[in-house]
Amino acid sequence: MNTKLKVSEISKIYPGCIANDKVSLEFGSGKIYALLGENGAGKSTLVKILSGVVKPDEGEVFLNNESIKLNSPLDAKKNNIGMVFQHFNLFETLSVFENLSIDSDKKDEELRALIKDILKKYNFKIDLDIPVLNLSAGQKQKVEIIRCLIRNPKVLIMDEPTSVLTEQETDDLFISLKQFSKDGILIIYITHKLKEVLSLCDEVAVMRKGKVVSVSNTIDEKIESLANKMVGENLNTIKKKINNFKNSEEILKISNLNFKSDDPYETNLNNLNLSLKKGECLGIAGISGNGQNELFQILSGEIITEGTSIMFRNKEISKLNPRERREYLMAFSPEDRISQAAVPELKIYENVALNNFKSSNFFEKGLVNEKKIKEHSKKILSNFSVNTDNVELKSQFLSGGNLQKLIIGRELITSPELLVCFNPTWGLDVGAINYIHETLIQINEHGKSSILISTDNDELLKLSDRICVIYKGKLSKIMNADTVTAEKLGILMGGGSID
Amino acid sequence: MSFDLNFIGILIGAIMASSVPLILAASGELITERSGVLNLGVEGMMIIGAISGFALMVVTDNLFFAVVGSMLSGLIISLIFGLLTQSLLTNHVATGLALTIFGIGMSAMIGKNFVGIPGKEFPLLFLNLKESIPFLGPIFFGHSILLYFAFGLPFLTNFFLKKTKIGLIIRAVGDSPTSASNQGINVTLVRYSCILYGGAMCGLAGSYLSLIYTPQWIENMTGGRGWIALALVVFATWSPIKVLIGALIFGGITILQLHMQAVGLRIPVQLLSALPYIMTIIVLVVISRDSRKIKLNTPTSLGQIFYKEK
Repeated sequence: MNTKLKVSEISKIYPGCIANDKVSLEFGSGKIYALLGENGAGKSTLVKILSGVVKPDEGEVFLNNESIKLNSPLDAKKNNIGMVFQHFNLFETLSVFENLSIDSDKKDEELRALIKDILKKYNFKIDLDIPVLNLSAGQKQKVEIIRCLIRNPKVLIMDEPTSVLTEQETDDLFISLKQFSKDGILIIYITHKLKEVLSLCDEVAVMRKGKVVSVSNTIDEKIESLANKMVGENLNTIKKKINNFKNSEEILKISNLNFKSDDPYETNLNNLNLSLKKGECLGIAGISGNGQNELFQILSGEIITEGTSIMFRNKEISKLNPRERREYLMAFSPEDRISQAAVPELKIYENVALNNFKSSNFFEKGLVNEKKIKEHSKKILSNFSVNTDNVELKSQFLSGGNLQKLIIGRELITSPELLVCFNPTWGLDVGAINYIHETLIQINEHGKSSILISTDNDELLKLSDRICVIYKGKLSKIMNADTVTAEKLGILMGGGSID
Repeated sequence: MSFDLNFIGILIGAIMASSVPLILAASGELITERSGVLNLGVEGMMIIGAISGFALMVVTDNLFFAVVGSMLSGLIISLIFGLLTQSLLTNHVATGLALTIFGIGMSAMIGKNFVGIPGKEFPLLFLNLKESIPFLGPIFFGHSILLYFAFGLPFLTNFFLKKTKIGLIIRAVGDSPTSASNQGINVTLVRYSCILYGGAMCGLAGSYLSLIYTPQWIENMTGGRGWIALALVVFATWSPIKVLIGALIFGGITILQLHMQAVGLRIPVQLLSALPYIMTIIVLVVISRDSRKIKLNTPTSLGQIFYKEK
């Protein structure tokens, strides 16, 4: 059966920003469509409109030439539009089956049989009776997909589905999506990853600043051409010289790092050992939730563990708190910019002041030295090309990219010997990613070291000198980056072994 | 010997009776909290239920109207909480506290004219069986219908939450209102319903106090039982059966320590009076040690304000 979906002249205006500006697009079943754009380009708003979560100010949606009203998620379901959100819409404490049965009007046995058929048909392996919080991200996504498939969707919308997946899981997902497409489901794939567009999709629509700027067949496109359309300017590519650190001085050595948690949401760490040389970048790959959070917190001193030895610049620092570690020239950029790295309600200079050192003299006799902090903040803003020079601006009004520049800048302006960063480009657009990557390479070129914990394999391969993988709280062998491929990482990240 | 056994039976019967208001209020609050709403107004809703039940009994001379009326008044006062927290998106904690203060003041004002009026006898069931069977008789028979209802309620609540569709939806809303809303569930409606149900149960618990347990109106007669019920829900980790156990332990130790005080043991009275609180917490903490189960039972969104994107 053929499905045609058409959005016509859709506009959605939020205070201070035009999210969608007269967007018109046409889709037909049998093809996979990519909707490509940077963060804030309006992709998410458009799919929220298609799934009934957000109402457009203007414009219409047509399904098979009939105008449909999408006032609520129920309307989208009634019209057989299925949606898999980037942030899963699952109930963590309920079982998989409960999650699936909640919006179904079928009897339990009937539903169970139907789900089993779907599992078999697409070769999914999921235990239906365990709570969702025990599933990996890839499995959670499958639960979301099954939830859509139960309702025989005509349209399936995937919002940045691979941001939480391993290479292997991504491959599996692509196989499934191609199969769905063959079965007549119209697929709209939202992403900002260019490679995925080329390997999966047939047609690509590029959005920028709320407008559709181009629609084309993917065969006619290349990574560079898409990137330029997306950003609207020409980007230069970054290359890192891989160095040989045999003779460099060792700056960090961690031995017997163990961590046991009572919290079922946390991961235990099991006997981690690693070392780092001056000027070196160590990449730590892995699917999120395999212990990265815990490792980062132990490195930063938020968690103090017994029996672990952390030697940094020939000093045992495992019992020092984050501030003492910073004083000793370590710097940290946590994963969550909003809740861990910065306080969004505070002004820029106040956020800068949070990271104060004895030497920086931000406070005198218990009073805030505003002038000094502001000067210091201005320096960060200009040195790290944050797109504002107003230090009085509340941090929440900075875009993700600019906030990240501010955070990295705040850490780097004190010239630390070691920077530990966790997913520094998570959710950023190409332009900001490029900038952060350049900065991270510069650190190493100046003889400083870095640990890059990331779930983005391309980033790791681009920036690391050596790479290892964390899986279920254990570290793999540490490998030289030039011997590592994305495939190898994918195998290790999924718990497999190589050679 | 048989006399002693019978005495123990009567003691157990008394313990059961004293735990009824806790079970009723905590079971109601449990449903409310399972939907992600933290209503700290339990004490206020109970006392409103107590005075309106008693007042209706005096005015209409009909116990049925009195009981139903107390539930309705609990429901109405919880509706205020619902309007504030769900429609006007006020903070759950502050609103709940205000509700309690409001309830206590309001009940004292209405109650002024009802102080000193004697209550009416509430019909007790199976009185003849209570007398004729030693030990078991006073445990199982000769209670009011509300007691039987209260002891069935935790099991019904457990079944409702675990086995029914509506129970599933309530748990889902408590877990993640945003996800539930994206699945087309009317989160506001679900939460309103749970708030109103909780209010009705608290009203009922209050009327048990003023109509059956101590059949008269005394200002502030709930005496902190609402707060105990709230604590029970949390320490029982949102499991209805554990609420029942906790309420019985609390009632049990309250009665026992009264007897111990009467016997004149050389233990400070203050310590004995504190005993029910301490023991209940210890027992509930011990039986709910499994951190994994706690995670699964805890409504993740508890106390969070939910508003729908437009």
